[in-house]
Amino acid sequence: MKKYSLFALITVLLALSLLQGCGYNTMQANEESVKAAWGDVESSYQRRADLVPNLVETVKAYAKHERETLAAVTEARSKAGSITVTKAMLDDPQAMAKFQQAQGALSSSLSRLMVVVEKYPDLKANQGFQDLAHQLEGTENRINVARSRYNKAVETFNTSIRIFPNNLTNSMLLHLKLKEPFKADEGAATAPKVKFQ
Amino acid sequence: MGLRRQAAVILAAAAVLCLFLGPAESFGLDVPKLSGRVNDYGNMISPQARATLEAELAALERADSTQVVVLTMPSLEGDVIEEFSIRVGDAWKIGQKGKDNGVIFIVSKADRKLRIEVGRGLQGVLTDLQTGRIIDTVIKPRFKQNRFDDGFLEGTRDIIAASRGEFKPTPKATPYISPNRYFEVFLVAVFLVLPFLRRINRFLPIPAGAAGGPLLHVLSTGGAASGSTLGILAVVGGVVGLFVAGIGSSKKHGHHGSGGGFLDSFGGSSWSSGGGSDFGGGGGGSFDGGGSSGDW
Repeated sequence: MKKYSLFALITVLLALSLLQGCGYNTMQANEESVKAAWGDVESSYQRRADLVPNLVETVKAYAKHERETLAAVTEARSKAGSITVTKAMLDDPQAMAKFQQAQGALSSSLSRLMVVVEKYPDLKANQGFQDLAHQLEGTENRINVARSRYNKAVETFNTSIRIFPNNLTNSMLLHLKLKEPFKADEGAATAPKVKFQ
Repeated sequence: MGLRRQAAVILAAAAVLCLFLGPAESFGLDVPKLSGRVNDYGNMISPQARATLEAELAALERADSTQVVVLTMPSLEGDVIEEFSIRVGDAWKIGQKGKDNGVIFIVSKADRKLRIEVGRGLQGVLTDLQTGRIIDTVIKPRFKQNRFDDGFLEGTRDIIAASRGEFKPTPKATPYISPNRYFEVFLVAVFLVLPFLRRINRFLPIPAGAAGGPLLHVLSTGGAASGSTLGILAVVGGVVGLFVAGIGSSKKHGHHGSGGGFLDSFGGSSWSSGGGSDFGGGGGGSFDGGGSSGDW
């Protein structure tokens, strides 16, 4: 009896240490950091969405004739707001593509707005507008930082479920799927340059 | 035969692959060494201004635990200041861990660019708007006139003014027993106090040890200890108590009088000092890209 329970204990310990060696915990920890990084991405995009109405109002006061540009920004904002990617959907390439597309559309409409603003020196000199511009600039930078940190977390996670022997553990026990990173193309090409000097 | 060999080959291949899976990183300008509160690699600050800056920043950290550091670079060598500055933040970890109350004031001389990078904990008071205004209205005009010392001094003063009062330093916990007397107190407890208690009741050393272990720790750290540490110490203390309770029941008279030397050593000299103005490095703070940039 005593011998048997000792044997069972050793077996359990052995199994635990094997799981450790097979990356069982590592993979799950990596998945959690992907989710955490996504939380930061979401909140920085949300922060930008919160700024947009104020910005549109301020610009409107000085640049009444730019109705089209302003309407495009408002529309892009509401579209971007309607597409959310929850932490459970990060392995869905389509959802991620849609999200990135919608946020990219808002980015490019904002950069068009900032080009338009160049024509209005009064607006550019307005304290309220300058403050908003700083806030938008900071927010865009936060988005960049959050995105690159998310991509780094995804890279670590994806690698961890692909390498041997983690891939065996994963296919037998965890069934985690590869996560989608942000694609560099459109974000990098059309990132609004929110700078006034 | 073949199967075993195949397995061996696969394993070897996997092992070799692992060697090549190191992270492919290192791009852009290298982050310089954190050498103090003012890191003037761009040679923009006079020695007097530097001393003033260092004193003011040290005073801020003493009072609030908030860390502000200045970095000047000769050039960004083509790097983007926002990307460089977040790498500096990640490497230097300015601000206290958990509070994220750090600020990095970065200037590149050749590019005529500057940035104030703000840790998350300070973004409530030092908003992007606030840092933007400090750059626009205080720093830029002075830099344009080549009054760099004034720009650094007054810009930093505004950063300090905005962040002051937002954080309290975690009490550095003046210990009642300095750590280097820890062992002596432990000896006194084990060889004098516990045997003495044992004479009152044979089993008294056990609970006394269990209580004494954590108590000793609290006294020597000034109260900063986690629950699990205290728990472990309680168990250790209990075991020591058990040991004392178990040994030589015939030994009636202990070393009552021999403890004078130990007790004498609890001098006032063992109080830990408050620390000077020397910089202890980044406190583990993190950055999320908040803050503002500008040029002149």
